[in-house]
This record gives sequence, C-alpha cells and structure tokens, in this order.
Amino acid sequence: MSVDPTYSVTFNENNQEFSIAGKLRPQNASDIKPLEAALSKALAGVRGTFYLNVKRLARINNVAFRVIASLMAQMVEKRVDLKIEVVTSSVLGWSTRKFLPLAQRIPNIKVVEYDKEFYPGQSFLEEGGFIPILRNQTRMTWRHERNLLPRHGLTPGASIADICCGIGDFAVLAHKEFKPSRLLALDHSRTSLDYARKVAAEFGVTDIEYVYGDAAELMIDDNSFDFVTCRHSLQVFDRPELILRELYRICKPGGRVYITNEKNSHCLGEPRGESIQWTYNEVAKLWAHFNMDIEFGPKSGRYMMDAGFDDIRIDTFMVTNRDGDPQDFADMIQAWENVYAGQMSRDRGDTPEFIAKFRQGFQDHIHAALNPKGYAGWPIWAASGRKPS
Amino acid sequence: MSGMKPLLEVSMGIDAFSSAWAHCDRISSYVARMVSHNRADPLLYANLLSSALNELLEIAFAHHGPDGDISCRVSRSGASDIIELSLPCDDAALGFYTGAAEQLKRADLAEAYQSALFSPGAGDPHLGLLEIAVDYKARISILPEGGKRVLVAATVELEGAVS
Ligand SMILES: C[S@@+](CC[C@H](N)C(=O)[O-])C[C@H]1O[C@@H](n2cnc3c(N)ncnc32)[C@H](O)[C@@H]1O
Repeated sequence: MSVDPTYSVTFNENNQEFSIAGKLRPQNASDIKPLEAALSKALAGVRGTFYLNVKRLARINNVAFRVIASLMAQMVEKRVDLKIEVVTSSVLGWSTRKFLPLAQRIPNIKVVEYDKEFYPGQSFLEEGGFIPILRNQTRMTWRHERNLLPRHGLTPGASIADICCGIGDFAVLAHKEFKPSRLLALDHSRTSLDYARKVAAEFGVTDIEYVYGDAAELMIDDNSFDFVTCRHSLQVFDRPELILRELYRICKPGGRVYITNEKNSHCLGEPRGESIQWTYNEVAKLWAHFNMDIEFGPKSGRYMMDAGFDDIRIDTFMVTNRDGDPQDFADMIQAWENVYAGQMSRDRGDTPEFIAKFRQGFQDHIHAALNPKGYAGWPIWAASGRKPS
Repeated sequence: MSGMKPLLEVSMGIDAFSSAWAHCDRISSYVARMVSHNRADPLLYANLLSSALNELLEIAFAHHGPDGDISCRVSRSGASDIIELSLPCDDAALGFYTGAAEQLKRADLAEAYQSALFSPGAGDPHLGLLEIAVDYKARISILPEGGKRVLVAATVELEGAVS
C-alpha cells in the first residue's frame, strides 16, 4: 500500500529503461508492491538489455534494495538471454557503491556510473586547460553584468543558484555585490569545484555552497531559488532544453532564470578584421563538430519561450579591449587559442596548414586588442525569463 | 573526548518516535542537512550521512525498549563525524544489540555484508549495521548504559569517501 508515494517510476519501452526517482524508504517490502509489480512487468516484456535507471533515486533503504535486487536476480537466472544494466549517478555519493554488489554477485548484471563522458565537450572543458579561460572571462563580463543583473530581477537578499558555476568567480562576485540569503554554486567538474572552494576561502567567503552535480539531473527540490543563473553553459550541451527545464524547475514561481551565451562567429577586431572573422567562423564550426553550439546567444529568447518562461528580457553587450586592461582581453584570446587550436583541432584531425591559419586569427585578435589604435570585441547575450506564478 | 564538538542533538520519546516509520527518514534528512552545510560539498555530504543515519534509525525503530527518550547526537572531530544514538532497551533489545556487537567483530565483515544483502526471506536483522561498517567504513561501538539503555556510536569519515 503506497498511500504516500515518495517515489515515482516510469518505464520507457523504446529503450527498455525503467527509472525510479525520489525516495524509497519503505518500512516493509509490501509497502512498495506497486513498484515491484511494475518492475516485474517491465522485466518480463523486454529482450536483450534492460536498463534500471536510478540516477534520480535520492534515497533507498535496505528493505527496498532487497526487493529490487531479488527480483532482478530471479529474472536473470530464469532468462539467460536477459542482461541488466543499472545506471547510477556519481552525484549521490552512495549509489554506485550500493548497487555494485549486484554486479559482483550476479552475472549478467552490470552497474554503470553514468556521468562519465556524458556531454560532448566534457574532456575539453573539465580538463584544467579551461580554468584560465574562465577566470579571465568572468572578470571581464562582470563589469557589464553587475549593472545588468538588477534589470534581470536580481535583488539583494535573494536566494541564488548558479548552475554550471565553473570555478566559481561569478558566485563570489555576486555574493559580494548582492548579499544573497543563500547561494548555491553547482558544477560537474571536481577540479573546478576544488578551485572554486579555494578562491572563496581566499576571499574569506564561507557561506557559498559549492556542490557537485549534474545540471541535467539536479538533486534540488522544485521551486527552491529566487534567481537561477547559468552562464556560458547552455552552449556546451547538445540538448540545452533539458538543462533549461531543470533551471525552470528549481526556480520559484515568480522568480527568474538568467542565462548568458555567446555567438563566437561575431567576435571581431580591427586591424586584420578578415583574418579574425575567418577564425571565429571556424570556431563555430569546430564547436558544432563536437555537438556544442557556441552560436547559442541569439537563440536564447526562443529557448526560454519554449521552456515556458514569460516576461523575457534580452540584452547584448560587447566585452572589448577598451573596458579595462587590454592585456586581460589578450590573455583570454590566448587561452581560447590554446584549447581550440590545440586539443580540439587536433582531435578533429585538422591539418597543420589549417591549424596555422586558425591560430593566426587568434594572434590577429590579440594584436588588435593590444594595438593602441585597435579594437577587439566579444559579444555576449544575456537573457532572463520569469517562471509564471 | 578532546577535540570533539557536539553539533546537534535531537531527542524525543521513544513512543512518539516509534509511532511513525517516517520519523526515521525525517530525522535522518534533517540532521544530515543541518550538520553538512559547512562541509566542502554539503549536498553530497548530506546524502551520505543521511543514508548511514537512516539505517541506524531504522534499526532503533525495530529494536528498543518501552520507556524513555531516544536521542541522536552528531559530534565532529576534524574530518570525522560521530553519530550517537542512545535509546531505552528491554531484554530483547539488549539481546539484539549484544548479538550485533558480536557480528561486528567478525573478520569477514565484507562477506557477511554481501550475504546479508542477498539472503533469502525476511533478511538478516544486522544488515544495516554491516552496511555502515563496510560501505561507510564506520567504526561502530555498542555499549549498554546501566542495563536499561544502549549507546550505539558510529564514527564515519565521509568527506572524500567517493572517488
Ligand atoms: C563554459 S563553462 C562556464 C562556467 C562558468 N559559468 C563561467 O561562466 O565561467 C561550462 C561549465 O559547465 C560545466 N558543466 C558541463 N556539464 C555539466 C553538467 N552536466 N552539470 C553541471 N555542470 C556541467 C563544466 O564543468 C564547466 O565548468
């Protein structure tokens, strides 16, 4: 009898995936009869590999574990053709360890921790190489965003979640400027989070919650935050609408979600404008090759509307060499060149001739930035929408 | 007990506690959340602590004596957290905890845990404790307090417990 189901189950027949989400802490095995029945029905109908998705199962006790384990053990014993893959998430900490004994004990059951290699640019972005890029970028965009954020609904004392926080500079800056009542900063890179914690400690900031997690499957309750930010990140996912759906979900009704994105092909500079433009057109193609969309910026409004937001506000600003120290701008471009014309270009299999020309555009952009008569720009789209109340 | 800082203590009558199963989940979630906020990754830490604590509370729910309070205290000493459950015991409950203490001395704890996980039928009543000892690498002590109560203490180091 499950009068108060704290969990939900779904079965997707097309990919033979049975998902359990929520909390499974029954007192007796009989309390989760409906789940047992659904699981056993699903198992009976599949061929080949059956997937048990527990990525969003936040809690399980041994009563429930034993019900699931014994049912699956019986099934694979009866049906030699059947294989089961349990898909866990590293985000919860306990889940892989909890399910692993199944695989150790029962042939034909495998346990796979899903968040290894699950978004296209992961290997580029989670390696240390991106850290210098992010540092410089945030320092430069902050000059603009600090003034824009109130227009997008951020007020002092609001509760903020910064999803895909990277190395956390934005969180520290927002903390200082807006004194939020709560600030959670989440990313899927442990390297970045370690770095973020160090930066916060250096600034003596102790009340930012740095959290490891997956933006596509946030372990955060519905309607939790007044202001949800996700900066420069929808553009790294092949299915940004899934992330946006999560941002919407954790935002309070009446609260706002704020995103920033680029359109890299519109980076510009003078002198040597043509070479610069050529290179950034190639950057866009390179990202597309790895299923990421660095041209996302102007599409923000459409995505936000499709996700159900209203009162959508969009701003565009140009970060330029004239904003502050031109060397900051130049450093950022150098960091881009290192990653884009380095590992990414190599991995795509580009020829040395191409790479040389590709690099030249970045060098020309740096030249434009440092040239006292030059101009170098990087356009950003900042968009926000309100979750209807 | 030098270097140990009590962080939080929750206590309630054992009757009230054992009147609803949901208390295990609620107390473990609440306590875990409260003591995790200043760990490096609060959500991850709370997830782990809640799982371990919930098993302990479920054990207390099933095995306790009739009168008195159950209290749950968490103290901290550096990277370690010490979870202490103190609860009233009658003879049956005392027998259970004495048996559990014996189990936990086994050299083959990991195997004992595995076989308890998959044992047929109603299952091994010590499963939860075995899990905490093996999976959470907890040091567990079970001490009778004056014949009428028992103190179950589990020391865990959960920070960096995941790869
Ligand atoms: C381009 S960076 C932007 C970081 C930061 N918002 C900034 O502006 O500096 C993209 C970030 O998304 C993170 N990320 C990628 N996939 C993620 C996921 N599934 N869940 C959470 N974060 C993810 C990466 O680790 C990286 O830090």
